[in-house]
Amino acid sequence: MAGAMALLTVILLIALLMATALGSVAVSWRAALGGDATARAVLFDIRLPRALLAALIGAALAAAGVTFQTLLRNPLADPFILGVSGGAACGAAISTALGWARIPGLVPIVAFGGAIAATAAVFVLAQRREYTDPTRLLLSGLVLNALFSAVILIAFALAPESDLTAAVRWMMGTLFGATWGDVALLAVFVAVAMIVLMTIANDVRMFAFGADDAKSRGVDVERVQRIGFAVSSIVTGAAVAVSGIIGFVGLLVPHLIRLIWRRDFRVLLPLSALGGAALLVLADAASRVALPSSELPVGAFTAILGVPFFLSLLRRSR
Amino acid sequence: MLEVRGVSFAYDGTEAVRACTASFAATRLVAITGPNGSGKSTLLKLIARVLTPRTGEIVFEGRALSEWQAKEYARRVGYLPQDPDPAFPMRAIDVVVSGRAPFLGRFQWESAADYEEAERALALCDAAAFADRYLDEMSGGERKRVFLARVLAGHPKLILLDEPLTALDLSHVQQFSALLRDIVDRTGMTVLYATHDLNFAAAYCDRMLVMREGSLALDAPPSEVMRPEVVRELFGFEARSVEGWLVPRV
Repeated sequence: MAGAMALLTVILLIALLMATALGSVAVSWRAALGGDATARAVLFDIRLPRALLAALIGAALAAAGVTFQTLLRNPLADPFILGVSGGAACGAAISTALGWARIPGLVPIVAFGGAIAATAAVFVLAQRREYTDPTRLLLSGLVLNALFSAVILIAFALAPESDLTAAVRWMMGTLFGATWGDVALLAVFVAVAMIVLMTIANDVRMFAFGADDAKSRGVDVERVQRIGFAVSSIVTGAAVAVSGIIGFVGLLVPHLIRLIWRRDFRVLLPLSALGGAALLVLADAASRVALPSSELPVGAFTAILGVPFFLSLLRRSR
Repeated sequence: MLEVRGVSFAYDGTEAVRACTASFAATRLVAITGPNGSGKSTLLKLIARVLTPRTGEIVFEGRALSEWQAKEYARRVGYLPQDPDPAFPMRAIDVVVSGRAPFLGRFQWESAADYEEAERALALCDAAAFADRYLDEMSGGERKRVFLARVLAGHPKLILLDEPLTALDLSHVQQFSALLRDIVDRTGMTVLYATHDLNFAAAYCDRMLVMREGSLALDAPPSEVMRPEVVRELFGFEARSVEGWLVPRV
């Protein structure tokens, strides 16, 4: 555990150094620390906040992903499973259609509201008398996401043409224009989420054999489910509001960690957060420098970097 | 030690357990039998505190279940659901040591002592050799023994097993039944288990409960249950008795 944590922390630090060193303009940390104004501006105002934001979003999505997979006992669950992405995208698309994209900061707020509203709706739909039924939860999330896709298409058809590019970029997920304000805001969300999830980790891992078994071991199943789902959805909503929809990290990273270390939730949670952070920092750096003139969607790079690694591990595992 | 007093339970309007009353003393091996859907699993879940009775009450060691704190009760009563399966691969020793969960604090990890308990429980179930193997590499009989060890690792006073003998071949049914008998006699625990195998239950148990349509139809020693006229009425099983065993009448 300690070894794995140290290894992933070192990988994350190297990723952050690489991400700040890479870019269309060649600047060095030595120049920035030596007082070069341009180097300072590029490193401290652009690349560092962006790399840190990528780390926070990666951590948020991977932590939410591993929590959903464990509580729902489903290896296909990802942080967007409860309709968070669909709700957020709906909020963003509708506000774009209404021309609100021109008011700075409004779209992320509406997107966050959409994410939370969607999660709440999925919860209400999945509620049974005893406790939340995982299958109903998954199905409700799936069906609502389909409904949201329809709403998004209609909103895009009606949106002012000039606002469409920004909306599409948001849908693909981007860390372009990250600010220290974004970093500070998301850092608070991620820190609180990690603390809360760590306090229920000893109970969450008991879901390995299902809710009935967990309950018979003294776990307050309803409470742990509610806290776990709510915290994961909120931190995902915050990440999506800042960056748009970045796929694969939340699904892939917990599986990667599980394939390498095979441990229970108490270890998987912090390791997944660190792994998700490192993967997204690297993917974002790659998406910036892959083409000399333009940026590619970071979500595509998380898959391009993660999938081959994942498949090779999967082939070697039993 | 355990008293079930007029307990009823319904799933969304369908009554599964109706006004069941029974009391259980220490050091007893008790089989709960009955046709499919007769309420065996539900009764075990009610005693395990997984479900809460609609009416009536269950009293364990002089206190109603509602008065017990969840973890405190889990330390005394072990429950094994029907056919548990971990969502992700797990080693046998990790499965067994997770039976120590009710003894851990919020941030506490299993200590070396907890692992020793787990190893002792595995040995008691004749499964010490499987400790480092993954569950999905094991046979059905091996897995059952690992799960029984998980329950035993918490040193409960009462053990509830939901159909632990299903999907086992005859020699494993015999081994597992003898293991339960041995554990009861050696540790003084009380074991309640649901089963469809009347003959094995009769051979090893002190007492049999027969459930029908949610009610307790019969609560008697095996000799009173194992009669052709009784099983015809309660199970719809046309049988004849051969040296105390019930065999199909053909």
